[in-house]
Amino acid sequence: MTERGAGQEALQLDYEALTGLHDEMQEPAGKTRAHWEPVVRSLQDLGAGELARRWELGRRLIHENGVTYNVYGDPRGMDRPWELDPIPLVLAQAEWEQLRAALAQRARLLDAILGDLYGPQRLLRDGLLPPALVFAHPTYLRPCHGLRLPQASWLQLYAADLARAPTGQWWVLADRTQAPSGAGYALENRIVVSRTLSEAFRESRVERLAGFFRRLRDTLHSLAPRQRDDPHIALLTPGPYNETYFEHAYLARYLGLTLVEGGDLTVRDRMLYLKTLGGLQRVDVLLRRVDDLFCDPLSLRSDSSLGVAGLVHAARAGNVAVANALGSGLVETPALLAFLPSLCRALLGEELALPSVATWWCGQSEALEYVESHVTELVIKPAFPSPRMEPVFGARLSKGEREALCARLRASPHAFVAQEQVALSTTPVWDGENVQPRHLVLRAFATSAGQGAWELMPGGLTRISTARDSLVVSMQRGGGSKDTWISCERPPAPITLLRAAGAPIELTRAGAELPSRVADNLFWLGRYVERAEGTARIAREVLVRVNDEGAEAAVALPALLEALSRHAGGAEPLRRDERALLTFLFEDESPRSLRTTLRMVHQLASSLRDQLSLDTWRVLSELRSQAPVHSAGAARQQLNGTMMRLAAWSGLSMESMTRSLGWRFADMGRRVERGAWTSILLGACLVQAHDDEAPRLEAMLQAAESAITYRRRYRGELQAAPALDLLLTDETNPRALAFQLVALEGHVAELPSARGHVERPPESRIALSALARVRLADVAELCRVEDGKRLRLEELLARTQGDLRALSDVLTRAYLSHAGESRRIERF
Amino acid sequence: MHYRVTHTTTYAYEELVSICHNEMRLEPRSAPRQRCLATALAIEPTPAVLGSSLDYFGNRASFFTLQEPHHRMVVTARSELEIASVRPVRPSATPAWEELRAEIRTQTTHEALSAYEMSFDSPLVPVQPAFARYALPSFAAGRPILDAVLDLTRRIRADFEYRPGATSVTTPVEEVLARRHGVCQDFAHLELACLRALGLPARYVSGYLHTRRARSEAKEEEEGGEEAVLVGADASHAWVSVWCGDAGWIDVDPTNDLVTSDQHLTLAWGRDYADVAPIKGVILGGGEHTVEVAVDVEVVAG
Repeated sequence: MTERGAGQEALQLDYEALTGLHDEMQEPAGKTRAHWEPVVRSLQDLGAGELARRWELGRRLIHENGVTYNVYGDPRGMDRPWELDPIPLVLAQAEWEQLRAALAQRARLLDAILGDLYGPQRLLRDGLLPPALVFAHPTYLRPCHGLRLPQASWLQLYAADLARAPTGQWWVLADRTQAPSGAGYALENRIVVSRTLSEAFRESRVERLAGFFRRLRDTLHSLAPRQRDDPHIALLTPGPYNETYFEHAYLARYLGLTLVEGGDLTVRDRMLYLKTLGGLQRVDVLLRRVDDLFCDPLSLRSDSSLGVAGLVHAARAGNVAVANALGSGLVETPALLAFLPSLCRALLGEELALPSVATWWCGQSEALEYVESHVTELVIKPAFPSPRMEPVFGARLSKGEREALCARLRASPHAFVAQEQVALSTTPVWDGENVQPRHLVLRAFATSAGQGAWELMPGGLTRISTARDSLVVSMQRGGGSKDTWISCERPPAPITLLRAAGAPIELTRAGAELPSRVADNLFWLGRYVERAEGTARIAREVLVRVNDEGAEAAVALPALLEALSRHAGGAEPLRRDERALLTFLFEDESPRSLRTTLRMVHQLASSLRDQLSLDTWRVLSELRSQAPVHSAGAARQQLNGTMMRLAAWSGLSMESMTRSLGWRFADMGRRVERGAWTSILLGACLVQAHDDEAPRLEAMLQAAESAITYRRRYRGELQAAPALDLLLTDETNPRALAFQLVALEGHVAELPSARGHVERPPESRIALSALARVRLADVAELCRVEDGKRLRLEELLARTQGDLRALSDVLTRAYLSHAGESRRIERF
Repeated sequence: MHYRVTHTTTYAYEELVSICHNEMRLEPRSAPRQRCLATALAIEPTPAVLGSSLDYFGNRASFFTLQEPHHRMVVTARSELEIASVRPVRPSATPAWEELRAEIRTQTTHEALSAYEMSFDSPLVPVQPAFARYALPSFAAGRPILDAVLDLTRRIRADFEYRPGATSVTTPVEEVLARRHGVCQDFAHLELACLRALGLPARYVSGYLHTRRARSEAKEEEEGGEEAVLVGADASHAWVSVWCGDAGWIDVDPTNDLVTSDQHLTLAWGRDYADVAPIKGVILGGGEHTVEVAVDVEVVAG
């Protein structure tokens, strides 16, 4: 049954495939291929309106799940939403079976080639592969030559980019062997599209993806050098700026791996360790998303900050397994495609089952001659990874440009390959109203299943060209993607990624394994969120009064402006000037400004993706969008919105986070910061005595969210002493300075270094002395005015602020600073 | 000639270093005319991990880790070497350079492949047309390889000024070509770039140079002395080794414009400096640091 909105017209699929190309949905005569029928029927039944409505939900899901793909040079920069089309690519099971066998063969072949090139190099000696192809390759990692690997296997995850010729034959365009990306996006695409076209998904009997990921996880487990039930497996990411960072966090969560950056790891005694709050924790297997050369600044590229010094030595000693093995990027070179048929015969004794796109490696003189005389029919590409060179379409070059290109080829022939321009097949894509043909490339994934067996993901990541006549298919250049369905004869068996019954799981409530970097990020997330809240609260009180010509506002404003300047201040002290204030609040980029603070919140939340629940992520990602406003009223409204989201984060962190060390660090960050801005506010409003203090006290209580409590306790009359008691010494008021210090003292007592020791560590001493000072303070004494000032109060606040700074420093040194970066020393 | 070498490297750090990983190539390899009689490493503080193996190029490489916090690290390598003097090869007896280039591309013996590997780009020696342009005047058609290489070596010595301190380990070789000055490492990279730009195999050699006179004497005579003092003495030195076909690898020193004899002590060879740096390390912590290197080469017996 399909829902159809009232009065909704059926969608007329006036789809016209392009002539001369294979179309995935239509046969040449225009008839729909049998395995597409459920999808086509479903699209027609839904109608354009219902499809649009459902797709709106799908897109919202993508946005809310934070599925992003960072495109370099995109104005949306870090957070470009993932582009997905609601119509899947459907493939028949029988056809898929052939690909399954062919890709398994290819993975075995590439693995064997790596084994030879990093070992005996029989292929070079027997003339099966030109030595220059290896020797000139910048990621032929000589320090990895002779590496002995677990199960003698180089590849655990392999991907191939496939295209279909007009004859219907599949071709391999490229092999991905070092750190293939896209499997996580394929999974996310499946979740969104199977919901959008749920009826067609059921009817098509689509094979599930979970089995593939379970196999991948089992394969990673099996690599562990120590035989044990629960090896520690980490996923090494280059960090939040990488274009596929979303996927790293997503896969880490889905597969139950620890997401780590190079700085989180260290090598000691030739073993790999994760730096955690509780000390070093051994890592057995590293699934890496960092490229070969960047994995170890000691033995590989010395200017890399993404890797771990000593990793190559640890891997050589057999103490850690890296997947895929260090050096496996070597066989990604397109130059290899020209030699695969003969290599397959030599190494496997089989014919290569799946052809590659016709490729000429210019390092061979006959190939170079051919390329020079057929350049208009070919695409010229770098043979080795090169960020500087885009593929060149010979047909689009002028005569002069062609000659210049040929001169380049002759100058360093081994650095180039030429490939036939492939006529890519087409598939329907929804443009919001109708369906249109677009070209596609399918990335298929396979994971090793031991003993030379490979398991293919039943599906994959289909990528589509940006325009009807464009043959460029690349996420980096802004193309879209599709879910990929393998439609089965019989209903697929349900699969779950949860552990099979039988192996009892050890119960744990630990939190000490938290990577120090994560604790550091949580600490600062807490600080920045609270800093933003402080700014927003004080700024709201300023904005209420900025256009008020009354006497009360004239008394309160200077104190509030001073507090705001000191808390969030830019270069200049703030004055009573609406325009300047609005600019400061919404456009200023100085280090403590609201804009910078919210940007930092977002940045930290991005790098904590694997630690935050989806709801928390949604709340934090909404915080960032702050449009400039032009009136104090509009600004207040905007700040109210910000406050609501900050409140939502507080609620989530109080109610949804386990009281682990991670939560403690986030809460300590918050308490340190609230203590700091509250004492700034108290100082600005109370230190300088004034004849009529009421307007200041009122503003202060409002900003600190305590006006209602005050009224309930003291009726109407505003006086300094009761106000100070409420915001300084009242341990039951979550806004009071004392409350923050009590919380901090409680947290530091639970940190790993404090537990089980008789002597108090420095952080504990600082927290305790700050709390004692406030507890022992005499409010009446603090309120005493000498020479127009409350000097005792001023002194107490200054010392408390100093303690909070010292506490933050000590915590950083004791727990967080060894997350610091390594440096290289070299000496001639 | 029988030598004793002491090479001491001292790192001093302003702040504590919590962990330090190092790779060293300080133990001399054996080479056709060189025998390493003894070699020993002393490292302070005592490393938690110390291991040694032959690297891809057959050099002795040691890896060590200091895991206790430290302010200072001292690495001393003491070696004894015996070096036979060279039976000079007549340059005119070596093959024409183009012949050699064509030949090396087709042979598949282990030795030929190892040589061929040395004719490609490496991280510090990018092959570019500018180097070929500089080299070509020495490489007339049909000229014997060694004859051409000696001419190139002479021109580098004549065209480039030895200027310590003007370049660092990170100065690109393109810049050396443009600025016309540098130190032995720069000249070695430059000559490698020139040879490889013509498709000729050549490798980088790291080692020491000994002058015939005692150190103090050399110092006194430095100004206005009769005998020219060789540059690079009593410190780490670098030169190149060129594949000359049947004549094997022949070492030439572009800094001093000569074919090496028994005064050049070889530590290690590779594609460029990055493959054979005497010490390279990665530290955590440390702040500012200073390094002192002291090399002492003495003749035990002539």
